[in-house]
Amino acid sequence: MIELVDLVKDFGEVRAVDGITLNVQRGEFFCVLGPNAAGKTTTIKMLVGLIRPTRGSARIAGFDVQAQPLEARRRLAYVPDFPFLYDKLTPWEFLRFTGQLFQMEEQPLAAAPAPLIRRFQLEEWLHKPIESLSHGTRQRVAIASALLHDPEVFVIDEPMVGLDPHHARVVKDTLRERASRGMTVFLSTHQTSVAEEMADRVGIIHRGRLIAAGTPAELHRAAGTDGTLERAFLSITEGERATAPQALG
Amino acid sequence: MKNGPSPLALILRANLISSGRRLLALRHQSRLLVAVISCFLIGYLFLSFQLFHVGLRFIGRFPGLGSLLVERLIFLLFACLFFLLLLSNLIISYTNLFRNRETSFLLTLPVPVSTVFTWKLIESTLLASWAFLFLIAPLLAAYGIVNHVAWHFYPVTLLLVVIFLVIPATLGAAGAIALGRYMDRKAFQIAAVAGLLASLILIGLRFRPEPVADEQLEARMQAVIDRLLVNTRFAQSPILPSYWLSAGIQNWAEGALHAAGFFVLVLFSHSLFLARLATQFLGSPFADAATQVQCRGSLFIEWAWFRRLELQRAAMTAELRNTFADLATPGHPTSRKPGPTWFPVDRLDQILRWVGLAPDTRAIVTKDIRVFWRDTTQWGQTVLLFGLLAVYVINLRHFTRQLDSQFWVSLVSFLNLGACALNVATITTRFVFPQFSLEGRRVWVVGMAPMGLARAFRIKFWLATTVALALTLSLTILSGHLLRLDASRISFFAIAITVMTFTLNAIAVGLGVLYPNFRETNPSKIVSGFGGTFCLVLSFLYIFASVVILAVGSPWGWRDLDPQPARAALAWTSFSLVSLLAGAIPYRLGLRKAANTEL
Repeated sequence: MIELVDLVKDFGEVRAVDGITLNVQRGEFFCVLGPNAAGKTTTIKMLVGLIRPTRGSARIAGFDVQAQPLEARRRLAYVPDFPFLYDKLTPWEFLRFTGQLFQMEEQPLAAAPAPLIRRFQLEEWLHKPIESLSHGTRQRVAIASALLHDPEVFVIDEPMVGLDPHHARVVKDTLRERASRGMTVFLSTHQTSVAEEMADRVGIIHRGRLIAAGTPAELHRAAGTDGTLERAFLSITEGERATAPQALG
Repeated sequence: MKNGPSPLALILRANLISSGRRLLALRHQSRLLVAVISCFLIGYLFLSFQLFHVGLRFIGRFPGLGSLLVERLIFLLFACLFFLLLLSNLIISYTNLFRNRETSFLLTLPVPVSTVFTWKLIESTLLASWAFLFLIAPLLAAYGIVNHVAWHFYPVTLLLVVIFLVIPATLGAAGAIALGRYMDRKAFQIAAVAGLLASLILIGLRFRPEPVADEQLEARMQAVIDRLLVNTRFAQSPILPSYWLSAGIQNWAEGALHAAGFFVLVLFSHSLFLARLATQFLGSPFADAATQVQCRGSLFIEWAWFRRLELQRAAMTAELRNTFADLATPGHPTSRKPGPTWFPVDRLDQILRWVGLAPDTRAIVTKDIRVFWRDTTQWGQTVLLFGLLAVYVINLRHFTRQLDSQFWVSLVSFLNLGACALNVATITTRFVFPQFSLEGRRVWVVGMAPMGLARAFRIKFWLATTVALALTLSLTILSGHLLRLDASRISFFAIAITVMTFTLNAIAVGLGVLYPNFRETNPSKIVSGFGGTFCLVLSFLYIFASVVILAVGSPWGWRDLDPQPARAALAWTSFSLVSLLAGAIPYRLGLRKAANTEL
């Protein structure tokens, strides 16, 4: 469902993403972990078509993101770490707006928001201006609107930022359920606990390269650790840091 | 899938609803403030209409030359506005296309990139052009009344102006895409500021007033007028869109409908052509440029001196990192002895310490100066503003030839005081007013420090006033010398501008705290909100009142009358009182709010 082939991105003289190749299957829940400035967000931006790769390609549901952007985006939903919402619209208006942009028929557009609104407990805020909502509520509105058109691929960057434990649970359960119904989830996070709990497979990006990918158990085996995924992550990235050439000096 | 509203219609609708609600939100603002701003806007329209009306009638009455002069002025005005619109569209399109969160959001949706570009083009055009419509509306109304035009002149003119706006908008957007594609932001801003300054200097040197002797006017009027207007001929170049607009409007006003129709069609066909070209073909280059803007390294890296500088910085960072690593490793004797020598010397802090400022004051002042200096947009606009002033000052020396009576000396010197004060008001509204809002979510850093927000508020006031005073006092004294004023007059205006600088800064700092906008990070947008508009209106009203009071009570009198010390004393008392009220009220209220702000 998601295919990244030898993806490279240069920012001037800096190589932010260095030859990432990856396949994520239909219905798979894939988490990307990585230290700060590892290249996770750049990879996501290339995946959703916000920036063009220097080399390589990204495909969603078989459609090349650069060559067939509209076909790819119809099957995609993307929620960045700080999503854009129209401050003066209400959550209800915003949900309808995104549904219409995804060309949903009137009937599903009338029916689809209700379960999401209930699930994300947005009833109280539904007709209030988005500018008056807390960060966590805005995040829930963004996720609900992204799920509205029933995307085949769901790409989300740091979804738990600003969410209280209760709503974080709701988001996790919703994404897990959708994945079990065939939606592919590509989630980027710093929280190893989220990846450990949710992911079918975890990829670790470090210094622009995908240095490890597999189930949490496979990562433990590769790192020679046991216990939490955090230990495996630290072991793998520390090992990589020790072998990598110094950038400066 | 369905055939519902087009994506462009949906985006337009969402933004129209948002704009409508922003306007409705004014209901929640103080009625008094809304009334003040509304009165100011209506007052501007009325006053400028009166000025244009009187001016056009006055010029139109010149025997044999009136209509020629009016015609030239209209061509010149629209040509200048065309170039200003082009620049305004270029800058606004750049920000709107490449530094806008809505653009990024729309580019992740199944919306054709050409649709996203079309919407951003419409939005940039509206943002860049509304002030143009506001400025020229009274002029066109006055022009119509002076020329006794038929009723259809007004709707046709409005239509022509709207069609005309498409041309600088599309050219500006295309220019922004080209810049985004080939220049990084810093290089663009530096090039834009340098280009503008060069243009201003060129204009300042080229467009000098022509001295005309009375005998010349009597003998060869036509030749003199030609010589005076030689520098304005560019405005009548038929390849300029402003020429088509001006010619269309003037022909329509005169009832030459066939000639007017020709220019209307020329304007219309070019606008349609450019709009079609932009919406059809600029989508893909825009997407290319959007990627480039996000991904490109600095253009300066191409230059050897910049690479050397970067390497030096990298070496210093590595040195610091190694030292900290050594320090953090217990039991490992370090090979480097950490000491103050390898830290970069903070010269700015040293200077401020030498001045005698307390450590917390130095911290705030240093931070504000650094943030300002590192934001190219901020200092770029300051340089531009002072570039315009430089042109003004360069041209002031030419006025002295005409200052042969007491009346003209007084008039020009008081107008000069008004110009200097307006410059301060622009600076305080643009740069000082948004200071508190810009602290935004970081306000707790200062608020939680022992100094508290109230002291930070006072420091910001004194810093802004000191910097502004250095500029305005120099400017007032320099312009006084260029106008060949004597020492007593220069002292008079220097004291007046000092009082006005304190008051204008107090207004900006006070209202900045009273009307903060912590959501917005762009200072231009903070200023264009309700509080910023109110700050500008209040500053302008204060300047108008002050200059009128001081001019009426001028100690040198008008028309060579004897000086009237009693009237002068009354004027200064009134001026001091107005300044105290205008400055102290917002300052005190702002200070109180800063002291009680809940973080």
